[in-house]
Amino acid sequence: MKRTLLLSLIALIAMAARAQDTVAPTTGETVGSARGENAGDYNIVQSWEPGYRYSLVGGDEGKYRSDVNYGNGVRLLASYLTVNSRDGHGHWFDEIVLSTQGLGNDPYESATLRVQKNGLYRYDMMWRLNDYFNPGLATSDGLHLENTSQRWQDHDLTLFPQSHFRFHAGYGRNKEDGPALSSVNLFDSQRGDVFSLFSNVRREYNSYRVGADADMFGFRLSVLRRWEFYKEDTPYSLGGGIQLAGPNGVDPSTLTAFNRSAPIHGSTPGWLVTLLTDRKRYAVNGRFTYSGGDNNFVLNEAAVGTGLTGTENRLIITYGDAKRVAATGDLNLSVFPTERLTITNNTSVDNTRIGGNSFYEEIDLATLSADILNFQFLGIRLITNSTDAHFRATKKFDFFTGFRFVDREIRSIQSTADPSPPVATSFANTLNAQTDHVYAGAVGMNWLIAAPLRLHVEAEIGRNDNPFTPIDEKNYHAIDSRLQYRRKTVTASAGYKQMYNNNSVTLTAYSAHSRDYFGNFSWAAREWFAVDLGYSRLHLDTAGGIVFFTGSPRATLQTGTSIYVSNIHAANLGARVALRKRADFYIGYNITRDTGPTFPLNFATPLARLTIPITPKLKWNAGYQYYGYHEFVAVAPVLENYHAHTGYTSLLFSF
Amino acid sequence: MGFPALAADGVSVGGYVGSAVCQTCHPDVTLNFYKNPHYKSVASGKETAERTGCEGCHGPAAAHVAARGGKTTIPHAFSLMKPAEVLDDCLTCHAKDVSRANIRRSVHTDADVVCSTCHSIHKPQTPKYLLAKVQKDLCYECHQTVRAQFEMPVKHRVNEGVIECSDCHNPHGTFAATWSTGIRPRMVDEASGPGAGQNLGNEETCIKCHQDKRGPFVFEHAPVRVDGCESCHFPHGSMNSKLLRRPVVYTVCLECHNGAGTFGITGSGVIATSSAHNLLDPRFRNCTNCHVRIHGSNADPNFLR
Repeated sequence: MKRTLLLSLIALIAMAARAQDTVAPTTGETVGSARGENAGDYNIVQSWEPGYRYSLVGGDEGKYRSDVNYGNGVRLLASYLTVNSRDGHGHWFDEIVLSTQGLGNDPYESATLRVQKNGLYRYDMMWRLNDYFNPGLATSDGLHLENTSQRWQDHDLTLFPQSHFRFHAGYGRNKEDGPALSSVNLFDSQRGDVFSLFSNVRREYNSYRVGADADMFGFRLSVLRRWEFYKEDTPYSLGGGIQLAGPNGVDPSTLTAFNRSAPIHGSTPGWLVTLLTDRKRYAVNGRFTYSGGDNNFVLNEAAVGTGLTGTENRLIITYGDAKRVAATGDLNLSVFPTERLTITNNTSVDNTRIGGNSFYEEIDLATLSADILNFQFLGIRLITNSTDAHFRATKKFDFFTGFRFVDREIRSIQSTADPSPPVATSFANTLNAQTDHVYAGAVGMNWLIAAPLRLHVEAEIGRNDNPFTPIDEKNYHAIDSRLQYRRKTVTASAGYKQMYNNNSVTLTAYSAHSRDYFGNFSWAAREWFAVDLGYSRLHLDTAGGIVFFTGSPRATLQTGTSIYVSNIHAANLGARVALRKRADFYIGYNITRDTGPTFPLNFATPLARLTIPITPKLKWNAGYQYYGYHEFVAVAPVLENYHAHTGYTSLLFSF
Repeated sequence: MGFPALAADGVSVGGYVGSAVCQTCHPDVTLNFYKNPHYKSVASGKETAERTGCEGCHGPAAAHVAARGGKTTIPHAFSLMKPAEVLDDCLTCHAKDVSRANIRRSVHTDADVVCSTCHSIHKPQTPKYLLAKVQKDLCYECHQTVRAQFEMPVKHRVNEGVIECSDCHNPHGTFAATWSTGIRPRMVDEASGPGAGQNLGNEETCIKCHQDKRGPFVFEHAPVRVDGCESCHFPHGSMNSKLLRRPVVYTVCLECHNGAGTFGITGSGVIATSSAHNLLDPRFRNCTNCHVRIHGSNADPNFLR
């Protein structure tokens, strides 16, 4: 009895400590409880939760679809199935695990499947769908609206998973399609205007892999060969009719005809070789991974309209190829001189070389006006060496320290030539090379103050002598601390994180300060009551030197500082009450509020969920969730505020 | 179903008694153990006593049986063991996997977050990987600020269940990032294709799903390759559209494109905007309206098409 009570309490803690999910499927429910039914030599556990979801949206529905996207209709909200052989000697399989979510019509759907027979094979499948909608108002005044679906799948088969020689084969696919808007700058790259385009997104990625592992002399050698193929065949068109200039009311430009085809087809062959061992006094592992990359492309763009200088009739043809070679080697060596001390050294060398040719031909009003061959090369060589030591001083106290050195070289060539006869120019291959070095050190400790109370503190400080961009880490430090209390029915933690970076040069200065505070508390007070509370405050302030041109009638150079200050307060509350065995009630409330002052907004999502058992195998569920999004300062041309009432009702069959 | 007796006399060399003996007092643990992945070692019948069944993890039980129970008589009682001991025990069998190649130097190991902190062998909530809780809840237990980020209006769909933390992170530690120089980013996986496992490739994990940003491109936007996607985006969640680091697009761009210092691909400052880009004109405020191929282009050095 005591054991049952204890298990129930542990389960309750687990349920109450869940993050606030979306309102459905029914969370906190032990989907596929341990009952199960025996069928021959197998045990079967399954649950199915069909239901109906609804939503009622007020305000900016586009923003709602971008953030939340739940709609109306019937779905299989969740399902779960396990079949296990009871003696580990099934005929065709020993285990099947299948779980699904949102199948039918949800914007986020997924399914995973594992089938395995002990010692013979293991097969894993993953399938996911994400319906993506973004009105693009905040980033492009709506010119880059997207309404696409992306589907992923992956299949992985391992033969003889428990033997000393294993074989792997796999296949992955990632496909994205759907309508979208795009835009194009035409007729003058500096002063030309922006026109909206219709595009039909068509992207597809396929990968194949085969490999093998061998355990020999205490080492494991793994070799994997993979082939990846990518293609994008997204066409762009005007969509019909004459289009006036974009967000510039006084510009007389028009676009009367436009068409662009820009297929890209590429492949990425790759290798992975690893060698590992883990002994009593040391562990060694090495990895070599290589990816090639080759994209072939053609672009054909025809545009007719009126530009700043009159009638425009332009044809652009571009073709060429881009190549990348990325090779990486790693070596890890860990030694354990005593049981209390671990010292690990890691050396990594990465070399990436990207280059390609792009032939550009521009014909204006049937006259060849530009004939350019572009060549670009980008090379990144990165050498990293880290040494970490961890010493366990006592059973209650241990500390660690580490040092990292990085040497990076970035080389680039950007070159342009006119290949047209009779005066063909040659490339001016000016190589730009620069290096930077990073020295970073870290130190930390873990202290078990009293049995349930644990403190973790770590800090890092780093210096980069030549960062690549003005916002990169140059002179930085980070602190991360956490105090955690964990008992059978109570868990609580509080912490503080800080990250300061100062990257300054003579003309401008960039600094960033982030300070995060958090605390959470979970308490399974009774078998029928549990509560979960959390609060985080995320502060970020940055100041970056900027230069830009502005003014009327003539733009002049301005210098200034871009200041961004964000103070985000995020709180969550969840409480679960079980009314004997007659009902299970959950309420939750999430609020995320940025008090700015740069861009204040408020996002709140309260929810409630009720489960009523009808029979031991059947439960009725209902839930409601409200989403309220409120901007106080508009980034888009309009405030994108919305509120949405969403909910669901479902039946959960468990066998 | 159940466990075979180890030997006719019930006691073997080294104090191993066999799991069938354990079953006598611990039926709650052994009843459903055939569903546990660790049951494979029992079912095979080929493993030696110290590598199978209850004693494979908990050590020889003769003393525990003789004492008629008690946690302190179990050689390897995980709730009483130090974190490092837990790690060593599990790695006895689980070390030789490339996804765990960096576990000895991982941030989790440094913080005394070891196998039993996240995995529950006897009471898992997920049959795959035997996690003590659903993955995101497990991670949120310590990473409360990350939880706050995933509850922002613009975020990757972790709470909605379509992706998981381990799609981008390897909680067992990773090799040094090839797109960054600092000790951070931490435990961000290195990807090749979607779902292709962990540590298989040498590119930033984002390209697992965002394949169109992978290239190669003739004209690379160099920071994407040199410093990674986080140069412009918050990866977990953001209050800003497209997970951008700033709500207004041109401020994202201008903080780098100021022509100052020795930054950028030529080492002489990241090129500033043209004098023709008068910011009073709204068309120049959303830079990506013209520079549509900002992640990289094959046709235009200025990413216009």
